[in-house]
Amino acid sequence: MSLSRGPHDDSSVEGELSRIWGELLDVDPDTIPADASFLRLGGDSVLAVRMSAMVRRRLAVELALSDVTVEITLAQLADAVRRRRTAGNGAHRALPVEIEHRADPSAPFPLMPLQQGYFVGQHDGWELSYESAHFYADFGLTGLDGDEAAEALEDALARLALHQPMLRARITPQGEQYVLAPDAPGAIPRPRVYDLRESTPQEVEAHLLAVRHEMRTTGPNPLHGPGLDVRLSLLPGDRGRLHTGESLLIMDGWSATLLNRELLTLAADWNAVLAPLDVDFGDYVTSLGRLRDSEPYAADRDWWHARLGDVPRPPALPLRADPRDVRASTMETLENHVAADRWAALRDQCASREVTPSAAMLTAFAVVLARWAGHRRMLLNSLQLNRLPLHPDIHRVIGAFATTMLIPVELAQGRTFADLAGEIQRTFTEHAAHNLVSGVEVSRELARRRETTRPVAPVVFQSTLGMDAAIGAQAESAGPLGDLNFDDFHHQLRTPQVALEARFYEMRDELVLVFSLVAELFHTEQVDAAFADLLALVETLADGPGWDRIVDLPAAAAPDPVPGLTLDRLPEHDADHGDGPPVDELEQRICTVWEEILGVPVLDRGAGFFALGGDSLLVVRTLARIAKEVGGAPSVREFLNAPTVAGVAAAVRARLADARP
Amino acid sequence: MTVIGVLGGAGTVGRVAVDRLAGYGLGELRIGGRDIDRVTAVCRATPGAAVPVRVDLRDPDELRAFCTGCRVVVNCAGPSYQVLDTVARAALAAGADYVDAGGDLTAVEALESAAPPELAERAAVFSAGVMPGLSGLLPRLLAAGPLARLDGYVGGAARISELSAVDVLLTRGPRFGTALAAWRDGRLAPGALAPLHDVTLPGFAGRVHAWPFLSAEFARLATELDVAEARNYTVYVTDAIPRALAEAWADDGPIERHVAAVVAAAEADLAATGPYYTLLFQAVPAAMPAPGQSKAPRRLILRTPDSYALSGVVAAIATREVLDGRVEPGARSAAECLDAAAVFARLSGDPLVTQAEIR
Repeated sequence: MSLSRGPHDDSSVEGELSRIWGELLDVDPDTIPADASFLRLGGDSVLAVRMSAMVRRRLAVELALSDVTVEITLAQLADAVRRRRTAGNGAHRALPVEIEHRADPSAPFPLMPLQQGYFVGQHDGWELSYESAHFYADFGLTGLDGDEAAEALEDALARLALHQPMLRARITPQGEQYVLAPDAPGAIPRPRVYDLRESTPQEVEAHLLAVRHEMRTTGPNPLHGPGLDVRLSLLPGDRGRLHTGESLLIMDGWSATLLNRELLTLAADWNAVLAPLDVDFGDYVTSLGRLRDSEPYAADRDWWHARLGDVPRPPALPLRADPRDVRASTMETLENHVAADRWAALRDQCASREVTPSAAMLTAFAVVLARWAGHRRMLLNSLQLNRLPLHPDIHRVIGAFATTMLIPVELAQGRTFADLAGEIQRTFTEHAAHNLVSGVEVSRELARRRETTRPVAPVVFQSTLGMDAAIGAQAESAGPLGDLNFDDFHHQLRTPQVALEARFYEMRDELVLVFSLVAELFHTEQVDAAFADLLALVETLADGPGWDRIVDLPAAAAPDPVPGLTLDRLPEHDADHGDGPPVDELEQRICTVWEEILGVPVLDRGAGFFALGGDSLLVVRTLARIAKEVGGAPSVREFLNAPTVAGVAAAVRARLADARP
Repeated sequence: MTVIGVLGGAGTVGRVAVDRLAGYGLGELRIGGRDIDRVTAVCRATPGAAVPVRVDLRDPDELRAFCTGCRVVVNCAGPSYQVLDTVARAALAAGADYVDAGGDLTAVEALESAAPPELAERAAVFSAGVMPGLSGLLPRLLAAGPLARLDGYVGGAARISELSAVDVLLTRGPRFGTALAAWRDGRLAPGALAPLHDVTLPGFAGRVHAWPFLSAEFARLATELDVAEARNYTVYVTDAIPRALAEAWADDGPIERHVAAVVAAAEADLAATGPYYTLLFQAVPAAMPAPGQSKAPRRLILRTPDSYALSGVVAAIATREVLDGRVEPGARSAAECLDAAAVFARLSGDPLVTQAEIR
């Protein structure tokens, strides 16, 4: 026994608490680090109850159940004890989550839920997935200085990559992310420049088509290099085009806008300096991780889970192919603009009706979907670019902050558009008030309860109306790069697990309406009709009378069963590989791998990976382990098609048989 | 005429033991208990010859008188920590074999510590119940050779009487088993396992909670069967009971103070799922199996609505095995001296067993 004083003063709260932990966990009290969790030291929830009891007896402090989780550290427990001592038993303080700077900015940190979805999608995990989830855009430049532009762009990109760490981010094969030090090889993305100043118009056109095709179908992949691909085409007549490909794994739509602004600001002025950032994406993600242990998070989760039984299906849009069987390489885009004055009129109408433009557009989209699908009650998904206000600089940080939120919509019959929009705005606000739990997590739980691996909410609404104001105005000129010209703006978004996405955003004072869709799924004339219907409806709202008309809607709330394939009722895989104990060594090895990864016993060949608590990221890790142990593994998609021990074993056997000559 | 004495014959376990013994038609039953009215009632309800006897097993003269003339004495009275080897000694002294539905290692050792000479001729079978008992016996059916893994999950939802609650609260410490431990490569691995929450297990209803508890019985079994890793869990349908036990053990005060909480926790479990009790064992053969041993894992599931009553069935089967001359003389636990296949075959036909399968 050591006579020396340990790190904890014996007379202090920490001293007594470390002795209690020592007894409970059979460790030397003097060696317990203040920042190691009870769980990590071998504690569990029952020991935690005993710990509370011992604290009550020895320190005469009554801890609330909420004070003590298995993740608590000695330092946090000491804080809780002091708080209870000073406050008495009546005090209840919500766990505030504050940004904490990570000690090591290059340390790996977990993926956000939506990043996980993109990550798994890149492994061909989902139906409706692609080799990369990315956003591609290009726009024109005029008055460009052909001799200076390339160097100015490269310098601006280098400076921006120093300022925004996520431009130096990489994703590991295990599904974590980290930021490279600025001097690490390949850390700073460099632009690729094509000099076509002496080319013929035909050559220019062929070049632009080729670059566009390449960048649309092949996005930057942060598993292997930078998540940002910037290219500059120098064209005759002091013109040019700037092409950007941005991986959704490292940046969201908000970040894409930010990137354009900051890149062009730096390119315009060699001496421009961006206001320093006191926080990074890793700090944010790590802080959100702590939020998951808090009561507000648990309350939001319970709120969602209590509603899952009543959540409707996605709109019953008629399909011409099962999403499972479609191998699209790009998503098709339909786009239209509402002129600046009409958009201004629409905003005024929204203001006078007390609904946000986003709520009005969501309502319009839902109305169009209801008419298309033939019923009024449906589940929509939405992309959320809002960031939790954990730090004043957070809105100036590039990163994959985006999350999703499920919105169950029910449009009542015999109401005016204004009534419907008011109702939808209330629904939206109510759901957004429980946004500590992301839609990705809620969807996962919904899929688990429905025992499905099919997408539960593949119709997406996204609005960035009002967002530009929060980021700041776009400069019109970028120095040696010339003036920006968005008249022939080309862009394309490619996201996994989405069948149809409606996007609403502002560009140069105009309202832009976009349908992004997997064209192979839908009947073309129906898509065109729906998009025309949306445009017409929005125009009547800008005019005014559209608000007070009774909206024409189908009678049915839920879809009537119709022959043919619809988006709400996708067939499940019916391959039943049976249950019982594992039948051979391979199945037992899969059981053992699952046990290690999921931390639960896996005793039955019919056991489902998701019912056991797995998620898609763990699928990727599991497959890596299986490949290492048995010399072959199926794709994520094959795994999801039959996510039981027996099903995966069958897929492994097929894979190994294929590999043999 | 063969006389079979059943002590505690009016209790939950004893009544079922009496019923099965009468059904097997092995001989005349002598049914003992403290309350002669209840014992008499049991005798009336029993087909065949059954004689009620008032006996308090704390009274040596009464106990001796009860055992005299018996071919075998079956003890279904508790609590085990008080009975220990008292009845066994009286039975052996009277020249009878002995079967105890309860009792554990401590009872065996108490008897062996000053073994009566009759033990050379007579069998004394302890732990002839469900757990310990079947929990140490049935896994043997899965082991045709060395095992890489043996998992045991035993539990469910059952009423806990105040008397049983005391037993539960007292049977704690290394003599009985080690919480959170596994058996690995010939030794106890402390803290190797974590409690499981909301997991699904074959043979159990819905989601359950499983607490690692390497019982002394399971550790011995692992050694005997040459198991590289053994995991043994006690299964609860909610975490009410483990919480109640943890609260009790965290408190230094007298055990009695916590009996009510344990009883109430068990009631809460019962309300959640209704009564059921499952024994689930799964064995994974070693990488280098014995000649003729399959490499495929095997599983045994036994399910009953009432584990106490099933202990009575096990005691009756053990008695039958003793009377058939299939148990060697000496003091041993049922798991170590009964024929697992024979017991499983008899259980499979018993109305209290709702599921019995090996696959």
